[in-house]
Amino acid sequence: MDTGDGQQRGESVKSVADVDPLELSRRHPEWSAAQPMTRLQKGVMIGLALGTIAAFALAPLRTAQTLIGLCTLFYVVSTLYKFAVIRASLSPSAILRFSPEEIAGAEPREWPVYSVLVPMYKEPETLTQMVAALTAMDYPADKKDVQILLEADDDLTLNAARALTLPPGFRVTEIPPSFPRTKPKACNIGLYLAQGDYLVIYDAEDLPEKDQLKKAVLAFEASPQNVVCVQSRLNYYNPRQNVLTRWFTAEYSAWFDLQLPGLAAMGAVIPLGGTSNHFKTNVLRDLMGWDAYNVTEDCDLGVRLGRAGFATRMLETTTWEEACSVVPFWIKQRTRWQKGYIQTWFVHMRQPWKLARELGVVNFLHYQLLVGGGPFSVLINPIFWAMALVWFVFRPEGVSHLFPGPVFAAGAACLFLGNFVFIYINLLGCCKRKNDDLMGWALLTPVYWLMMSYSGWRAFLQFFRDPFVWEKTQHGLVKGGSGKQ
Amino acid sequence: MLTGFVTPVVLAGVLLAFARLHDGAWEPGMQVAGICRELLAGTTQGRQALFGSCWSAPLPVLVYLPFAWLLPEPLAGWAAFFAAWLFAFWTVREAVKATGQSGWRIVLAQAAIAGMMIVARQPQALQLTTPLTVGLVLLAAASLADWAAFRRLRDVVATGAAGSFLVLCGFPFFAPAGLAVALVPVMACGDRESRRRVQAWLLLGCLPLLYTSGVWLLMNRLILGDALFFLRSLHVLVPNPVSFSLAVLLPGALLLPALLMTWLCDAQRSETGAGPHAASVILISFALMLVGTTEVLGRFGLAWDSATLHVCFLAVLMIALARLRQPIYRLAVTLALFVWLTTLWLGNAPAPAAALPREQICREVEEHVTARTAYGRVFVLGYAGLDLLRGYAGERLVANMDLHVGSARRAYKGQNLYVLVPRPEGPARAESVFWKHPDIYRHGGDRLLFAGAFGAWHLFEIISAPTQEQLDEWKKAGGQ
Repeated sequence: MDTGDGQQRGESVKSVADVDPLELSRRHPEWSAAQPMTRLQKGVMIGLALGTIAAFALAPLRTAQTLIGLCTLFYVVSTLYKFAVIRASLSPSAILRFSPEEIAGAEPREWPVYSVLVPMYKEPETLTQMVAALTAMDYPADKKDVQILLEADDDLTLNAARALTLPPGFRVTEIPPSFPRTKPKACNIGLYLAQGDYLVIYDAEDLPEKDQLKKAVLAFEASPQNVVCVQSRLNYYNPRQNVLTRWFTAEYSAWFDLQLPGLAAMGAVIPLGGTSNHFKTNVLRDLMGWDAYNVTEDCDLGVRLGRAGFATRMLETTTWEEACSVVPFWIKQRTRWQKGYIQTWFVHMRQPWKLARELGVVNFLHYQLLVGGGPFSVLINPIFWAMALVWFVFRPEGVSHLFPGPVFAAGAACLFLGNFVFIYINLLGCCKRKNDDLMGWALLTPVYWLMMSYSGWRAFLQFFRDPFVWEKTQHGLVKGGSGKQ
Repeated sequence: MLTGFVTPVVLAGVLLAFARLHDGAWEPGMQVAGICRELLAGTTQGRQALFGSCWSAPLPVLVYLPFAWLLPEPLAGWAAFFAAWLFAFWTVREAVKATGQSGWRIVLAQAAIAGMMIVARQPQALQLTTPLTVGLVLLAAASLADWAAFRRLRDVVATGAAGSFLVLCGFPFFAPAGLAVALVPVMACGDRESRRRVQAWLLLGCLPLLYTSGVWLLMNRLILGDALFFLRSLHVLVPNPVSFSLAVLLPGALLLPALLMTWLCDAQRSETGAGPHAASVILISFALMLVGTTEVLGRFGLAWDSATLHVCFLAVLMIALARLRQPIYRLAVTLALFVWLTTLWLGNAPAPAAALPREQICREVEEHVTARTAYGRVFVLGYAGLDLLRGYAGERLVANMDLHVGSARRAYKGQNLYVLVPRPEGPARAESVFWKHPDIYRHGGDRLLFAGAFGAWHLFEIISAPTQEQLDEWKKAGGQ
């Protein structure tokens, strides 16, 4: 993947008016989700759907057996893949670690200017907490370049920001209203106005560990030149608010403390987390920032970094976030994530051969299992759970016919072993975070999976109906303030 | 590369070649292949055989299954055997590497275990189950020892996983597996920090085994209609199953000194964990516990897997030696001594009794039945039956794991039905037919009439009253 050579390469510009936040989609529409599916992709999808219907009409049993066989193969591969990733997370290279002594040992020194982007929309209640958290970060004040990115028509937050005396190094950047109204579009404007050598994104409610910026600088300096992004671990400061936040914390702990480090150790392409990803600013500009049309722009950017030959590493530092505690809001958030993964998969699968050449065969497979496999599994899971339930309760002969000998054995192994492995990984994540009291709750994760599947189907339908709709996550629902522990 | 790939591949290849050279004594997979055949055909018998007995464990079958699906016999058997030994040598590597030992020590340990297999010349120990159990026992023992020594989360996970898979290797490994995982939270009690997190160690260490056992029970309930079906044979094998179960757990007491030492070291050391010395004591205690288990099973006349247990015992001791810091030549000499000792432990095994070839038995039974009726069907009972039918391609003989005379008659209405019963000796004593019909081999049973002996097998005819259609037909024939 070649990077662009537009007007803003490598350096910051002076004003918002000079910035084209949609540069990526204009200059390289093939890298953007502005067009969710190409004509060829639509043709292939319609062809596959019609072919399946025709096959069902001609040979229903054989077609069902074939589809079930393919799905079972996918489950087997996914389970083995999870094993491999978790095992890789044990490797010392899985995560970059810097002790307080190492940070202290690096001083005195000239720290580089660090840009911090904080996109916000209609969340004035988190503004004070955010400014306090960023001010408290252990980094020279004169080297911080904090931009609070606010939509120009978001009077609520704008007024709150104006009422606040911002510390030195903080500024408000107003994002002119235009379509699409997404976080990545705001971030693109922030990126081109950024003055730092390095750049990080935080959400408004984030509470990063105080030494995170220094650790990130040391990580970049200690890593090879091609490492242009380091991802901090994310976790929640309100895990015990209710059962949903407990499950969410278990899932996040497994993802950020086990699976992403495992992927990093394997040298895999990493779907970045929504916040706390640190970049080399000039490289990010060369890549034309985020895709403003992609609702998981972070995941897409992770893949584009991989395609451009860059690497991402995990950093041992945590940013504490607020776990969504209300089911309807959680559904919306998860719908957006799943939809974004579907968008990203279609964007990069426009030229599969080119993608395989740029990522390499192994990383291409990582991509398929991570970005394609995630949404695919949540879509097919309820079908298989329903079949298993029907078989257990009613024992109909029909279901047995759908699973010929080896498929039955593999399917049974996935049902009993695979599902257990996924629950166990969540337990492990909780244990690693020393959230032992959440482990019992993590045993109930299958209920959480049902919600994920519901969101998955919602995302799948929304991908065709409203591909660019950004269902914003409601924050500030923690009882009694931030609840940081 | 050397210890992770080259040596395991070479040694697994050597063991495979050795096993091939002794073809008369060794058959790849044995009854496992028969179960896989039924499973691949999607039959109920296959599913019943997979879960139906604690003496014929599911894990070797599950390991063998993909090979049986992809490859023809005997290639599937060779490939499964090779892969299983690769796994075993990988666990040797992991177990020795955990203490930071160099590559050559790992190679020596791997070679010693391979040498032991060759010196022992035990046909039973050369089956697929042996490398799987050796690997899992090593993983469980070494991880437990490392958990005590270093308090690493990965060791809890490894012990839990090894224990849960070890349970699937059959009854002789129930107690070692259960004790290994139960010790995970107990060992953590010696250290204040770990003690506070007992709930976590309990869940991570024990849950996999409990889950696996639960699935086994569930499968028995679903497939065989009785959650405890796989354990029922204990009622006829031992006089008092409760005292037998307690006796099987008794060798666990050999782990107590190791546990006490772990707690003591934990309390005294400033670093996390009890240290490498405690790990060595745990490994040796674990090995002794395996011997104790063999002895207990032997006392109750159930030592069918004694060779496998002895191989596991020696392998754990070898690993304990290889983990010690000592000059490499001394390690080589000690391991060589151990390999020689193997002959004392395993070398005097009696040669397997000469038996009629499977094909001959099948052919004779088929001829016998065909001579009497053109509509005969023979149910070959139990796991021994699955083994007997491995190479059989006809339709007259069918496997049967759970004999119900009534339902067999209903299912094969109008046919002449027979059952072929194996001699109740060795592992065949645990077949479900013998706890349902204890005297069947000698005296037949209700509506079962002796019809002939074929090697170690007895054939019985199921006598049934004529159907109304038959009676009408006979009447008509009599009238004419």
